[in-house]
Amino acid sequence: MNSMLKQVYVNKSVLEAAKERVSYIFDEFENIIVSISGGKDSTTLAHLVLTEAHGRGRKVGLFFLDEEVVYDSTVEQIDYLMNLFPDNTVKLWFQIEFNLTNSTSLIEGQLKCWESGKHKIWMRSKKPFSIQHKPWPQDKETVGNPIKGFGFYDALENFQNSRKNTAFLIGLRATESPNRWRTVSKNPGYKNIYWSTRKGNNYAFYPLYDWNFHDIWKYIYDNNLRYSKIYDYMYKKGMGIQEIRVSSLIHEKSFKALVDLPEFEPKTYDRLLKRIKGISIGNIYGKDAKMLRARTLPKNYKSWREYRDFLLATYPDEEKRTIFQKRFGRQLDNNYVARQQCRQLLLNDYENNLPIDNKPDPRDEAIKRWRELL
Amino acid sequence: MMVIETAKGPVALPCLKVKVVDIDLVQANNYNPNSVAANNMALLEESILANGFCFAVVTVWDPDLGKYVIVDGFHRYLIFRDWLRAKQLPIIVLDHDISKRMAATVQFNRARGVHQVELMADLVRALVEQGLDDEAIAQQLGMEAEEVFRLKQVTGIAELFKNQIYSRAWEMVEVRDDE
Repeated sequence: MNSMLKQVYVNKSVLEAAKERVSYIFDEFENIIVSISGGKDSTTLAHLVLTEAHGRGRKVGLFFLDEEVVYDSTVEQIDYLMNLFPDNTVKLWFQIEFNLTNSTSLIEGQLKCWESGKHKIWMRSKKPFSIQHKPWPQDKETVGNPIKGFGFYDALENFQNSRKNTAFLIGLRATESPNRWRTVSKNPGYKNIYWSTRKGNNYAFYPLYDWNFHDIWKYIYDNNLRYSKIYDYMYKKGMGIQEIRVSSLIHEKSFKALVDLPEFEPKTYDRLLKRIKGISIGNIYGKDAKMLRARTLPKNYKSWREYRDFLLATYPDEEKRTIFQKRFGRQLDNNYVARQQCRQLLLNDYENNLPIDNKPDPRDEAIKRWRELL
Repeated sequence: MMVIETAKGPVALPCLKVKVVDIDLVQANNYNPNSVAANNMALLEESILANGFCFAVVTVWDPDLGKYVIVDGFHRYLIFRDWLRAKQLPIIVLDHDISKRMAATVQFNRARGVHQVELMADLVRALVEQGLDDEAIAQQLGMEAEEVFRLKQVTGIAELFKNQIYSRAWEMVEVRDDE
């Protein structure tokens, strides 16, 4: 007999439920680490967990993987969180070298954050107390994608693998990331708990999974917590408050932030200009329909396929061009797919972070159906 | 022409050689990629009426057309000609060939700043404190009422959610298919 998972409401508020979940984790685990990003969700989670730790006289780790190219407001937020309950906090502020995709430049397609020897152009100096060397043995280090080299997710994974019997707490919410939630909640990770996943010798937990957007903000208001200024800036600019992100400023999903950056944090923008190529392109064309986003076809091309072929032929980096050619060779050759391929080429997405919906052109299909009818 | 000495050599001062010409002798160039949104055109008119015409329109003389072709200041020219129906226009005439002319247009368009949100909010607050109402601020700064409102909101986002109640919690429960 098959069974399936269903979402069942219980007679508690999300706040009561989250407190119980956090308390349960404290009962079960000696070692607890909260991942923080500077965003509103992880701010809420960190505060809930620190409050519990304070009540129990325990310590928890606050883990921040610093991508260097982030808002100053994010850095200030991390500083704030790490100093909220100093007696109950182990500061795990990582400032190590790893590779980030720079979606704004075809010439300098990668940034090695905190690259040694470049300290003069780093966005800021390192924190004296931060972790500046990889605390795991070099020969055991794993790398997911050898072309990209050691990246953000590799740093996360190697950090997690360097620990044992640890609960990693993450501010993932089902309404915010339905796809990720579906994946993590398929099977119980720890004991019978669906809001957890197993990670080698450790477990990840998602105590805020059922929280809505307004619950987060209410919690922040009720507890008078500081939050990243970026949210206020963007709100003042009339941006939908659900769209706001605080992450790295240069990857393929966040480059649009560069359009507004000089108005929000002019100094961050000036330092970024010196740090890496392509920033002014992201600033000027980040919301343009043609230049980076491939929303409308430039007027000199007849089709997306033609545009794609031209972009591919003129792609400045040989090695990456081969990656694109191989990938596109396995995909359908129609304008629906070609538009998405153009987007990958324009945003330097050799890593395939913007996956391509490889299917027959819906327009052609519609025409075919009409032909059959008429 | 008069010059001012600088660290990088003498800088010419065409701004001192302004002349007023018949507005029909001036025309747009055919390459300017700049566009000014409608709301900012209204602000430009407001500015010209409130402050006078402070910067001459930059042009070159085109002998074939017999006209002064605009390098910078097209939108001010448009306000003067179409909105205010002026007969004359103050201009400066540069001696640029076509490529230098195009470059100058882009230089003039792009080399300008943006307003920092926070400082803009401070500025609006200062105007409020001087007794201006929202409507007057909106008109003088060329903003919509909502922009003034948003800039005045110094309390921030969290404040907006204070009267919410927490959602009900839910769990993932395994059920049999036929239930």
